[in-house]
Amino acid sequence: MKAYRNYYLKKIVWFVITLQCAFILNFILPRMMPGDPVAGIVARMAQGMSNATGVQAVYEQYTELFGTDKPMLEQFIIYVRNVFHGDFGYSISQYPRTVADVIKSSIWWTVALQFPAIIVGWILGNTLGALSAYLRKGFDNVLLPISIFFSNLPAFAMAIILLVIFGVSLKWAPTSGGYGFDMIPNNSWEFVWSVIVHYQLPFWAIVLITIGGQAIGMRSMAIYELNADYVKYARFLGVKDRKIIMYVFRNAMLPQITGLAQSIGTMVGGALFAEIIFSYPGLGSTILTAVRGGDYPLISATTLIITIMSLVAFFVLEILYGLIDPRIKAAQSE
Amino acid sequence: MSRVLLEVNELTTNYITRFRENVYAVDHVSLKVEEGRSLGIAGESGCGKSTLALSLMGYYFAPLHYSGGEIIVDGQNITGMAPDDVRKTILGNEISYIPQAAMNALNPTQKVIHFIEDVIQAHHPETTKKEIYELASERFELLGLSPKVLQKYSVELSGGMKQRTVIATSVILSPKVLIADEPSSALDVTSQKMVIKMVMDLMEKGIIKALIFITHELPLLYHVTDDIMVMYAGQIVEKGTVDEVIFDPIHPYSKALMGSIIVPEAGLRDVKLTAIPGTPPNLKKPPSGCRFADRCKFVMPECRAVSVNLRDIGEGRAYRCIIPEEDLRKAYKNEG
Amino acid sequence: MKHIIGQVFRSGKFLVGFVMFMAIVLTVVIYPLFIKDEPLDIVSRGTFLPPGIYVNVYDSIEFSPRYTLILDEAAARRIASKLSHEDRLAMQEWLVAMGVPPNKIDIEDTANLLELWENTFDPTARIPGMTNADRNYYIRLNSALDGLLATEGATVAAVNSETGVLEEKDVIDQTDYVNVGEVPNIRLLPLGTDNFGRDVLTELVKATGVSLTIGFVAGIIATSIGLVFGLLSGYLGGFVDDLIGFLNNLFTVIPPLMLAILIAFSIGQDQRGAYTVAVVIGVTSWPWTSRAVRAQVISLRNRDHVNLSKLSGHSIAYILLTDILPYIASYVVMALILQISQGILTEAGLSILGLGPRTTDVPTLGLMMSWAMIYQAPIMGIWWAYFPVIVVIAVISFSMNLMNTGLDRVFNPALRE
Repeated sequence: MKAYRNYYLKKIVWFVITLQCAFILNFILPRMMPGDPVAGIVARMAQGMSNATGVQAVYEQYTELFGTDKPMLEQFIIYVRNVFHGDFGYSISQYPRTVADVIKSSIWWTVALQFPAIIVGWILGNTLGALSAYLRKGFDNVLLPISIFFSNLPAFAMAIILLVIFGVSLKWAPTSGGYGFDMIPNNSWEFVWSVIVHYQLPFWAIVLITIGGQAIGMRSMAIYELNADYVKYARFLGVKDRKIIMYVFRNAMLPQITGLAQSIGTMVGGALFAEIIFSYPGLGSTILTAVRGGDYPLISATTLIITIMSLVAFFVLEILYGLIDPRIKAAQSE
Repeated sequence: MSRVLLEVNELTTNYITRFRENVYAVDHVSLKVEEGRSLGIAGESGCGKSTLALSLMGYYFAPLHYSGGEIIVDGQNITGMAPDDVRKTILGNEISYIPQAAMNALNPTQKVIHFIEDVIQAHHPETTKKEIYELASERFELLGLSPKVLQKYSVELSGGMKQRTVIATSVILSPKVLIADEPSSALDVTSQKMVIKMVMDLMEKGIIKALIFITHELPLLYHVTDDIMVMYAGQIVEKGTVDEVIFDPIHPYSKALMGSIIVPEAGLRDVKLTAIPGTPPNLKKPPSGCRFADRCKFVMPECRAVSVNLRDIGEGRAYRCIIPEEDLRKAYKNEG
Repeated sequence: MKHIIGQVFRSGKFLVGFVMFMAIVLTVVIYPLFIKDEPLDIVSRGTFLPPGIYVNVYDSIEFSPRYTLILDEAAARRIASKLSHEDRLAMQEWLVAMGVPPNKIDIEDTANLLELWENTFDPTARIPGMTNADRNYYIRLNSALDGLLATEGATVAAVNSETGVLEEKDVIDQTDYVNVGEVPNIRLLPLGTDNFGRDVLTELVKATGVSLTIGFVAGIIATSIGLVFGLLSGYLGGFVDDLIGFLNNLFTVIPPLMLAILIAFSIGQDQRGAYTVAVVIGVTSWPWTSRAVRAQVISLRNRDHVNLSKLSGHSIAYILLTDILPYIASYVVMALILQISQGILTEAGLSILGLGPRTTDVPTLGLMMSWAMIYQAPIMGIWWAYFPVIVVIAVISFSMNLMNTGLDRVFNPALRE
């Protein structure tokens, strides 16, 4: 058990440090760029807004948030304090809403869309990859090129293709939004149904994007494991093929969990595009509106939130992996 | 004459490469192992001895393929049997196997006992887990291993411990014949001794009835086996008892192999050290005559012209060379 | 070296990928030699002209010899182009709603259908359950049908410059034809025009070139950083390894896209040229190359030849360059290929978000995609504005991955049969 404690202690320390670094990067990157960020934003605001009092309020709020006249360290402390109170300032493009408010209304859409979709895609991809590695001829010849093709389509392209085929041509599902545009969120069945219907296309787009890469990874992993010495040994002791396949899949699947953890950042990024294409009311669309509206506070907060989400997902996966793979335990006690 | 447990006649197996080429790694090999005896197979790496180990079990999967000959296990010809019947009745049960790379022979994410359960249930599905546990701990204790090992993952075991666990697992069903493929080659000297002692114990304790021991260190066999076969390029080049082959080798290759040992075993210290120049032939295109011709000191034009058969000179002794044994012996004596 | 290249080209997958990729590169290089139009020139007024051959109408009437062809199908085709099957069904629906017995309506008999329609259509009629949109559709349909069955020709009139009176100049019969080859002005727009009225094909070729360049620059930057970090951390180990490992993990867990978004936005639209975007992508996407190189170096660093070199007192740089780099070169090439294709995709992503290169200099695949999205091309069914872009992106990335898979099979025997 001591071994496990060490493992988790290490992971937790790493998590906390990474979180801090993510904070610092989020704070420091824009300030490292040439030019005065506040000046740039004021210039952008002037084009985007006609409401003079709004501009003024945002300007004041913004100067306070950035506090460019204060020393860097003080700016950082103010920033951290604000963020800890959930205060990301006002949104420029959606003034007078606060950034926290905008994010609160979109984050759950993203969470509810992306995490199930990535997990389903991961499971399907791994199953297909394993099958392809095991059956090889025939199945493999069909599946491998398809997987390679799918994994090479950028996320937005996959989303557009689904949109055009199932949304525009076949009209099986609506093409945009998180629920019917004529509805107000409530608890009726009608609303729930509308949410489910609108969920389909973005969900399957993310699933498909995830499948391709995972299937290819799992396939090479499983081929590697199929050639492992323990497979040969088990065979020559007469162990049934079905059992051996189970060994192989389990062993190939375990590193795939780490693989998922390592690519969760990229995947979340890709999934954001699926949201954008389907105008899903999640963080992806929020980023798009923020960029178009020159809404700096919103971009900064959204990227920070997405980073934290990926970080948490990564952390949870690592913990999970440590629990189920005995190799980790053994490595720790050495 | 005692019971023949394993008889192999003219067995030929081949690999099929990615470019659809055939490599005959085991070429018309015949051998016989009687109850209570052990046979050593020696040769350089790449001579086909490991492939022979795999081929002897009569269970083939890509890229290794059966090509001809027969295997008779305790009177039962298994060459015509359905692969799944071979798996169920022969593998692990009648003939068992200790692999070369014991380091990775156990599934890293499975407890030892669970693997043993899978092995036993593959042959005797009716056995309960409790029975298996009792059997396994009894067997482990008999072989000087703690039953605690059963509850461990292989990654938690040291190298020597892994190898001994593998040996104990291989003989869990008390097979008649055990094929050990260089079981000690990857280990340090202490573990090596321990492993070899363990394998010999298996015979003494009657857990196995016959042993085939494969190694590239010919002298190692001196302590372990009764008979020796020397393999070169997929073929047997010499057969005989330990004493005959080690102290009185006939084939120039066996002679050279004896000389190529870097650290001679005790009792063999007067053997001269010489390396064998050259490399074994490419088995994708084996030479038409004697396969050792390119590296042989006594090579003559005829050697490359005609292929040589194994010459039986009685009492299980045989060699594959066109030069008569007396002439070879004379030549060795002249060399000193 | 020659031997390795020979082996690589024996791999079918590599060859297919290579051919696809070279086809694209050659198109990018050769196309501008023949078509000298500026890719960003606006050639059409109005947006999204569909693909096709555009024949100058004025020229066809004024400057081209006219021929008469007697073709039976001509009239039917003319009508069909105005009156689709859906329209006929809609007309039937209206007629039935207005009380015409269904057995009297044959929607395939155009003359009969039109006659019935003329007799019964009434724009003011209110049919229960019909929305305003439906009614507007019928009114549009009705005016489109006007004169559909006419057999006389069209009259061309011009104002006489001397008298200022409109005079009949010419009558064009329904059987009149011009030979396209004899019309002085025709323009081929194989992929139509985009939302600005630019020739999509010319723009696409240029955009592919720019995107490939961005991909190359980003890929080379990312691979260089990853290679240096990977070599150092794998070979030196210890503190350097820990430090680089930490950085690496950090940049893996923080989504690279988020970093790119932050940086690209902070740089600002006006400062963002194609190369700036390439650099942003390059400096945010090195971690996995570094991780992969590190793993390779670790497996190499205790080999005999490396130890020998160490004992001979060679410097670290010398050992890395001569004893390690050649052994991982194939691996680095594969990593580079993947980074390039990833760079192209990331550029597209950033552009869709509005964080790509500024829109005034050059087109990129991402910018074309971005404009198509802003103008809702997918929902409007304007396939030529986005589909060719997706195809090019997919082919580039697919071909590069095929090459990689091929290389992998040559260099990594475990994946062989």
